[in-house]
Amino acid sequence: MRSPFPSRRSLILCSACSALPAQAAAAQPARPRIVASFSILADMARELAPEGAEVSALVGPDADAHVFEPSPADGRRLAQADLVLVNGLGFEGWIDRLVRVSGTRGELIVASDGVQPRRAGPAADPHAWQDLALARRYVANLSAAFARRWPAQQEEIARRQADYLSRIDRLDRQVRDRLATVPRAQRRVITSHDAFAYFGAAYGVDFMAPQAWTTHSEPTAAAVARLVRQIRAGGVRAVFIENISDRRLVERIAREGGARVGGTLYSDALSKPGGPADTYLKLFEHNARALADALASPP
Amino acid sequence: MNDWVDPFVEFAFMRRALVATLALSLGSAPIGCILVLRRMSLVGDAMAHAVLPGAAAGFVLAGLSLPAMSLGGFVAALLVALAAGFVTRSTPQREDASFAAFYLIALALGVLLVSLRGSQIDLMHMLFGSVLAVDDAALLQIAGVASLTLFMLAAFYRPMVLESFDPGFLRSVGGPGASVHMLLLVLLVGNLVSAFQALGTLMAVGLMMLPAAAARFWVAGLPGMAALAAGIGSACGAAGLLLSYRTDLPSGPCIVLSCGAVYILSVLFGRRDGMLWRLLRPARHLAG
Amino acid sequence: MNAPISLHDLTVSYRGHPAVHHLSGRFAAGSLTAVVGPNGAGKSSLLAALGGALPSHQGRIVRDPALRIAYLPQAAQLDRAFPVRVHEVVAIGLWSRIGSFGALAASDRRQVDHALEAVGLSGFAQRWLGELSAGQVQRALFARLLVQDAGLILLDEPFNAIDARTTADLLGLLRRWKQEARTVIAVLHDLDQVREHFDETLLLAREPVAWGPTAQVLNADHLFRARQMAEAWDERASVYLRAA
Repeated sequence: MRSPFPSRRSLILCSACSALPAQAAAAQPARPRIVASFSILADMARELAPEGAEVSALVGPDADAHVFEPSPADGRRLAQADLVLVNGLGFEGWIDRLVRVSGTRGELIVASDGVQPRRAGPAADPHAWQDLALARRYVANLSAAFARRWPAQQEEIARRQADYLSRIDRLDRQVRDRLATVPRAQRRVITSHDAFAYFGAAYGVDFMAPQAWTTHSEPTAAAVARLVRQIRAGGVRAVFIENISDRRLVERIAREGGARVGGTLYSDALSKPGGPADTYLKLFEHNARALADALASPP
Repeated sequence: MNDWVDPFVEFAFMRRALVATLALSLGSAPIGCILVLRRMSLVGDAMAHAVLPGAAAGFVLAGLSLPAMSLGGFVAALLVALAAGFVTRSTPQREDASFAAFYLIALALGVLLVSLRGSQIDLMHMLFGSVLAVDDAALLQIAGVASLTLFMLAAFYRPMVLESFDPGFLRSVGGPGASVHMLLLVLLVGNLVSAFQALGTLMAVGLMMLPAAAARFWVAGLPGMAALAAGIGSACGAAGLLLSYRTDLPSGPCIVLSCGAVYILSVLFGRRDGMLWRLLRPARHLAG
Repeated sequence: MNAPISLHDLTVSYRGHPAVHHLSGRFAAGSLTAVVGPNGAGKSSLLAALGGALPSHQGRIVRDPALRIAYLPQAAQLDRAFPVRVHEVVAIGLWSRIGSFGALAASDRRQVDHALEAVGLSGFAQRWLGELSAGQVQRALFARLLVQDAGLILLDEPFNAIDARTTADLLGLLRRWKQEARTVIAVLHDLDQVREHFDETLLLAREPVAWGPTAQVLNADHLFRARQMAEAWDERASVYLRAA
């Protein structure tokens, strides 16, 4: 019968092995440096990364990732990054070249890896973070990447992951409860940014938009007419203005269709620190509350 | 009713867009004609870029406040226009070069200001509207500017024309050359900036210049040219809106391309120096 | 009768260079004076200063403030492509009376028609300026001068590149102006024209070489001296102070 206790040789081996990470940790730079492509991802990373990690976003709060123009400072930050986090699904058209040009040795982590994307026309719809269930996938991908990169902090990372996931689950229930107060047939909303398809599918809200989901498309008279007809015919109750598009266009459409103009929905970026949506979870909660409020009140 | 009128009957936004285009055409057609005759046709495009530093300054001072950014944009464009005008009057440099110089300086300043602030928000996108989204304030603004323009141009018609074709004579009789020059630039900037805001830069400059450039091939004198240009602009506004409605193409480009089509037809078939006209009919002699 | 314009030690600079210096004299009323001299002699600058187009000069120009001056610069920078009709170009000569806003009376229109007749452009009133030849444009500008009804008329090389027939016709106008006791000062290059039509001449080579009756001024000595002075000009010299 074999001894249940480890042999002396394996003990020595183990202690040697456990010394290695300590040596490796001593050899590593003091703080993990993580660069995320945009603010929402950066916020997630802040929650999940080990204590003391430096997390920054290329496209900051209130900014538009579709028209992002990198500066030399961005290139420098990338060059020094240990990990580079991107959304993927075509969200960052500019990232490949920027990564190449910066010469970074940080590993590129695609947060949406494994997510089955919705389609928006011929391309994939990248806004998967608007569904908390898919956000769990993001969390898993990020945590796994952090744990791979900083195995010494595996436990801390796992703890943070579990905590974040539970907060996500709680938030998910809250959102569903809130929206349940509005009958499904009345949950019809217009927003000038077609970034909420995932949210709509997950939580049973019909989102319609006057423009395609990149901010560059120009409005056509036919599209505006279609939408006005849609609002009138479909009993759309509320119109939301995303924080980067032409608010005047949305106001005109709402006025003509007889819908309410709601507050702001945050789709692609956090608000500035101190604003109502300066973390990912707050962003989600804000959106849900704004939607529920606008839909619940009569037009 | 018939197909052509239905969209305007059914939708208020179509009616407003039509009225906006009409008002814009009325106000900017005469200015466009004067620019064409004075060989200042590219100035409109220059002004579209000259607003940036002012809008950026407004943004820096007051955040995403549309009034602040608009006012800043207007002041910046005005400064560029007046500086260029001053250089043109005081040195041998002509208007095309002085405008190019100052608008490029302004544009670079604007880009610098925006990048210093760090925000990636497209200021220009915020500042420039769409013809489909004109609200009451924008309509009043365009109509007001158009009325003012027409009034001022009519009142100062004689010195304006004289300053355009013989500024030396105007100076020699002690006429208001500098004032009238500046008046033209102020009206130009006023029309453009108010139109940028309401309708976007493409439509603003397009409706100012294309009908004027086309009208040249039909009418010689300034009043007639301006009237025709205003008519072309209005008609193309309606045509472009209908086109955008029927074919689901962006409205601004549709309107401007309608003007473009009229321009090309004018170049080819215009009674005054149209290309094909000249080929088909030999030059006639005037009797003595 | 007072000389309508007299000069006292006049120095005119143009773009920082001295164009005319230490010119003194008077232009008699009703005289036809030709200003001649080598290229770069300051003739255009002198006329510009007399016409009030050059603000900076040293010395004095004395004239009756009520004197109306009509100034036709060299190759007037008209934009001939701009759509104006001939009668509008001529009518603008009435500026001193109608200004920016005044209406044109029937008598004004008649005046314009008479002026067009006098320059041989009857029937051209409705033509566009751009349709006219160089000679016809010059006639129209002279018609404008007629309408301006000025006491002092300044012409800077008015017959440059103009056909002989037009030149002859317009020179005829000078006689009429002399009869009307208007003072004419004209910069010219063709000395034969000067000898034939102008009773006074100012020979200028930045400084006055000779000023007086044409026959006395335009002799070989004076012309030679003017040419000598022209060859000695140093473009970079500062203002010359003559030993008193």
